[in-house]
Amino acid sequence: MSDFLHFSEHTLQEVALSFMALVYITRLIWLLHFAAGRERQAPTGSKDTNPTKGFIYSWANIAMPWAMESTRTKFFLYLQFVSFHLGVTAAIALSFVIPYAPSLLDSPALVILLQTIIGLAFIVGVMRIIRRVAGPYMRAISSPDDYFSLLLLTVWFAFAFLSVPNSTAGGEWHLIIYFILTAFFLAYVPFSKISHYLYYPFTRYYLGKTMGRRGVYPVRRIPRSDTTRTVQ
Amino acid sequence: MGNKSRSYKAEKVIQGMGRKLNRQMVGSLLACVHCGNCTDSCHYVLANPGDPTYAPAYKADQVRRFFKRHYDWTGRVLPWWVKAKSLYTDEELEELKDTVFGKCTNCRRCTLNCPMGVDYATFNRMTRGLLVSVGIMPEGVAVVSKDQWEIGNQMGVLKEDYLETLEWLTEELQAEHGADYPGIPIDKMDTDVVYSINPREVKYDPRTISDAALIFNEAGENWTMPSEGWDMTNFGLFSGDDDLGGAVARRLYEKVAELRGKTLVISECGHGYRSTRCEGQNWAKWDINFEMESSVITMLRYIKEGRIKVDKSKNTEPVTFHDSCNNARSCGLFDEPRELLNLVCSDFREMYPNRSENYCCTGGGGAMSMSEYTPQRLKSAKIKADQLRATGATAVVTSCHNCVDGLTDLIKHYKLNMKVTQLVNLVANALVIEKEVAVPAEVVTAAAEGELAGYRILVADDEPDFVTYAATVLEDHGAVVLRAYDGDETLEIARREKPHLLTLDIKMPGKSGIEVFESIRNDPELKTMPICIITGKPELRKLIYERAVLPPEGYVDKPIDEERLLRNIKKILKPVHKDEEIESRK
Ligand code: SF4
Ligand code: SF4
Repeated sequence: MSDFLHFSEHTLQEVALSFMALVYITRLIWLLHFAAGRERQAPTGSKDTNPTKGFIYSWANIAMPWAMESTRTKFFLYLQFVSFHLGVTAAIALSFVIPYAPSLLDSPALVILLQTIIGLAFIVGVMRIIRRVAGPYMRAISSPDDYFSLLLLTVWFAFAFLSVPNSTAGGEWHLIIYFILTAFFLAYVPFSKISHYLYYPFTRYYLGKTMGRRGVYPVRRIPRSDTTRTVQ
Repeated sequence: MGNKSRSYKAEKVIQGMGRKLNRQMVGSLLACVHCGNCTDSCHYVLANPGDPTYAPAYKADQVRRFFKRHYDWTGRVLPWWVKAKSLYTDEELEELKDTVFGKCTNCRRCTLNCPMGVDYATFNRMTRGLLVSVGIMPEGVAVVSKDQWEIGNQMGVLKEDYLETLEWLTEELQAEHGADYPGIPIDKMDTDVVYSINPREVKYDPRTISDAALIFNEAGENWTMPSEGWDMTNFGLFSGDDDLGGAVARRLYEKVAELRGKTLVISECGHGYRSTRCEGQNWAKWDINFEMESSVITMLRYIKEGRIKVDKSKNTEPVTFHDSCNNARSCGLFDEPRELLNLVCSDFREMYPNRSENYCCTGGGGAMSMSEYTPQRLKSAKIKADQLRATGATAVVTSCHNCVDGLTDLIKHYKLNMKVTQLVNLVANALVIEKEVAVPAEVVTAAAEGELAGYRILVADDEPDFVTYAATVLEDHGAVVLRAYDGDETLEIARREKPHLLTLDIKMPGKSGIEVFESIRNDPELKTMPICIITGKPELRKLIYERAVLPPEGYVDKPIDEERLLRNIKKILKPVHKDEEIESRK
């Protein structure tokens, strides 16, 4: 292993991680300095629910594709979402496994599993790029950050895929690029839309609490399949 | 940004945002990932395929862009990268107005379909409030807000008119159920129920008040209506003006506290229920010490407790139910109306999607008061029209006065063969009343025999059966009846014969009843002719009362029985003709 690869796997990551943690903490302090709106009214709606049930349901919403019309009726998009985010998780995990527990990758099964997950995420990334560029609705709501984040994540998946075996037999360049990209993401994420996972618990907590108090969450519905309309 | 000058109003809006932001709002402004999942959930998008400016995330970005530019570091450092952009001119504020008032009804359907939990409707409302604070708003919003600030209710109903209407409704109830019938108590202290209403009921739909009164009285309720602070609607919800919201809610809460009422019952109105029951206390920063409930829950409770009896075979028409967004998506009120409907109707048909997934009636968020956006509202109403049509019902029930107007408008626009009604009307119709009229009908009839002698009454209706029926009843009581079957004929006879009274149907071939009404009122020779509208389309009341002419002397819904017809005719003729006609008709 070259000194540069060692630097990329360790020092660079550690600096980038510290930077990300610092920015995130600052971000959270900033968000928390806004007062939370207070609800004074007595609960409405079904007696079977309450704010606690509401926010648990709200948090779990993402794992219940049947809960929202938008995920229920666009199940393929939902599968893409799952695959993409599993890929992100696997690629992040890889950035810790390679420097700190490389022996885990001696297992061919784990290598295949990680490559499958990350490979699928890469394909989804490409599909998402096409959707964002080709769809008029998606184009209208996209910012340079949206395109850039998606493109870079997709490229990152490609290098993560190549890096999974942690082999330098064909050269180190794929590993170096993967770690440099990882470090770049760690530093860039707090400034981009990718930091949405930081806000997710907040938005869903407050929405869930309100909707639980008002008897709207968990959603009750009479199923029927022929009411779907889509424009995309 | 630094060198570009900013208008006074734009500066105010930006500063105002800083004061309005709370954690929930900031979370929603930050969390959007532009995934597009919410796009299809908006009725505006569905009705305008190919126009991305209606997409919820696109609309939200028009607000998000100046939030980012001024309150979020990403937008401060790299504005173009995250599409952050400040506001500079009043023209930009006008454009923003068209988005937040004209392209969104704050229905919250996209909110419930966002995986990130972005509550666009909430910060859309906040933006409305910011624009209102600098005087940028649709004309109708300004007018209604002014009425609610100054007169105390959003339709500018004067106290004397309100009290007069309640008195008149009490008289009607007593004429129907006997002189001892309790009627509508006003400002009674220490009651179990204080009943608050939408001013639309006083102005256009008083039958909902008398139906509610009938239900309260039949249930033996100890109830009252307040003489002031009776308006449970709150335009602050639509205009985003929290100060107005707080002031209006406080007015109502204070009155209930003054009357020492135990429960404030809110008549069927989605935005009224949400404002009064939920948001009002937050806006007014007031923790109330009495209960509040929707009249839907009250009526259901009466049936369950055996306090009123209903017979569902009295409502056989196929009905469907439209969930108001404010009731269903912001207050969880969707099961009780269905339970009640199943108790009072024999043919209830579910509409899909429903409950918190239902589509907006398109009249929400104050849209009915913003006439400049009517074409796009009606276009977006296609989604609701399709939903209604698919049910096969001939009546749509809704627990919201705003929805009544929104649905009535779209039903007319899309030529659906449906009427709009409310649960209170259906419950009142299904009531089993044990002690009917106090005085036997024959006695009343006999006593009234000949009472209309000498009067010439013109009955105008395109239904020959109705004309024959009404003419027979009136002739039996001594009147000379003239008959007309279309609008032109009505005008011609009215001009020629100058009858003492005209009963007028609204829907007629040729000139409609509304045109006839207006022509008569504008004719110097005929303008004082008493007119009683008798119609099967009570929802068209607004079309008559909104004319800039004297209102009709009476307005009666079909079906109408002999007793009601006579009572209304006599009520009109007596005061008008008492002096000047008594001599001439002898
Ligand atoms: S669904 Fe939510 S995150 Fe996605 S575009 Fe709409 S508001 Fe943004
Ligand atoms: S709140 Fe309703 S009208 Fe407004 S964007 Fe969302 S779905 Fe459309």
